[in-house]
Amino acid sequence: MLVVSSIGLCDDLHALKPAVFLGSSIKDTTINLTNDYRYLKTGYYVSLHAEILGNQVIPSCENIIDASRTPILLLRASKAKIPTVPFLVTDNVKKIITEVGLPVVVFAVNPFIHEGYKVAKNQSALYRAMKSLGMNYKFAVCAEPLRGELHSVKSVFGKTELADEQISALSQKVYELFRIPLCKLHVQKAEDKAFLCGLEPLKETELSKADLKLISKEIMLISQQGNHIGV
Amino acid sequence: MSRIACFVEKYNFSDPREEAALQNFKQTAEKSGSQFSFLFRENIEDIPNYDAVFIRATTDPLFTSYIVSKTAWELGKKVIDDPESIKICANKIHQYALFEKHGVPRIPTVFLSKDDLHHKKITEIFSTLGKPVVIKAPYTSFSRYVEKAACETSFREVAKRFFKKSDVLAIQKFTPTAFDWRVGVLGNDILYVCKYMIPKGKWKHGAKLRGKPTVIWGRTVSIQKKDMPPRLREVALKACGVIGKGLYGVDIKEVYGEYVVVEVNDNPSIYAGYEDSMDQDIYQRIINYLSA
Repeated sequence: MLVVSSIGLCDDLHALKPAVFLGSSIKDTTINLTNDYRYLKTGYYVSLHAEILGNQVIPSCENIIDASRTPILLLRASKAKIPTVPFLVTDNVKKIITEVGLPVVVFAVNPFIHEGYKVAKNQSALYRAMKSLGMNYKFAVCAEPLRGELHSVKSVFGKTELADEQISALSQKVYELFRIPLCKLHVQKAEDKAFLCGLEPLKETELSKADLKLISKEIMLISQQGNHIGV
Repeated sequence: MSRIACFVEKYNFSDPREEAALQNFKQTAEKSGSQFSFLFRENIEDIPNYDAVFIRATTDPLFTSYIVSKTAWELGKKVIDDPESIKICANKIHQYALFEKHGVPRIPTVFLSKDDLHHKKITEIFSTLGKPVVIKAPYTSFSRYVEKAACETSFREVAKRFFKKSDVLAIQKFTPTAFDWRVGVLGNDILYVCKYMIPKGKWKHGAKLRGKPTVIWGRTVSIQKKDMPPRLREVALKACGVIGKGLYGVDIKEVYGEYVVVEVNDNPSIYAGYEDSMDQDIYQRIINYLSA
């Protein structure tokens, strides 16, 4: 099994740097580890190179793209029976107010903003959120009703450090579907249930020593299970 | 009766030739007993109400068009352009890697990673591909983000600009020709054949005049598909075959009697009086494909 990583891992783990892997033609099951899987960034090209070589790889290019586009993330998650809230893709403020209602959480759906969301509790806050995330109303946004409390959690191979059963179970299910080893999940907690809202890249500084240990442990586990990465 | 949604953005109606082509699609569909409605981004929640989606807005995994394509695909609709084709055609690195893997004749190409932008690598590229070279950002379309560099200074200037969005670029051998073949392919079959002429004194189909923002385009000369050279047909179908079974426009250069693929585009331009002038059945064939 091949681990390609752009982050400094624990010493017991042997990993290739992305640049070395991109210049090689090593054929093996590949785990691509980076805090940033954005489309067109090095993390994406590592998965692409592995796919071209015919390697089984996590995450796949398709999942990298789909998980970062909130409407597709939610559509595929809901098809896989992962709890989500209804969403609306639009660039029209009035439509959000009539069809989604307030308060609302708004995610960007444009080629330039890759992270973050805004919560709007009233109409003027919604206009401001649309102006900023829609880049002056030029692009659509993905609007979801805010029914409870929003949590942002780190997911390391689907595991979260939060001791909330519903959020942990949701994080595991999202990992099983998209196989994104490292990411941040935005989750809504309402009526004692957890609902998926969005996914975004982690910043490298957000990875703690405990996370790096968890990464090592998970990789050991995958390797003990015969390199089964669930692709 | 098939209900076809044609996903468009406002700019699709800014050129009268493109607008006329869109109206031709609508009339053809309606004559065949299908419904054909233009779908704008404010109505994409209506996708479940249609049987097929035909995307005419520019495609890219980062654009709304990808959300339309993937949503329709996940809902089991017939889609042109399908999400897999968008993924491969919108990223020329992906595409050239597949061409290399499957032995598609292509312009000599090397990949350059952001970390490799240094003197030794640039010298190596110039000695392999000669001078000048063509630097291509993976997300190029309509001749944009494709620039020539003949020295290390201009190479670095162009590459740095393109590296802002993508961490890998494609560098190609400069291969000037009087025209590029443009072969329209649908479902592994030839749809139309054109020559995209290169404007005089320029090296690509759409070129900027020095110091001006205006882009000038070369003429489009349509050829009957029965008259296309057999080897051109073979190369075009082979290139599309590694991508999928959708609608593509393949750009091919003829160099000393050999046909080499420049790139395969999903979402190819269809302008009334241009791509359709020899083979008027292109509208009917696309509608048939969507309503089958």
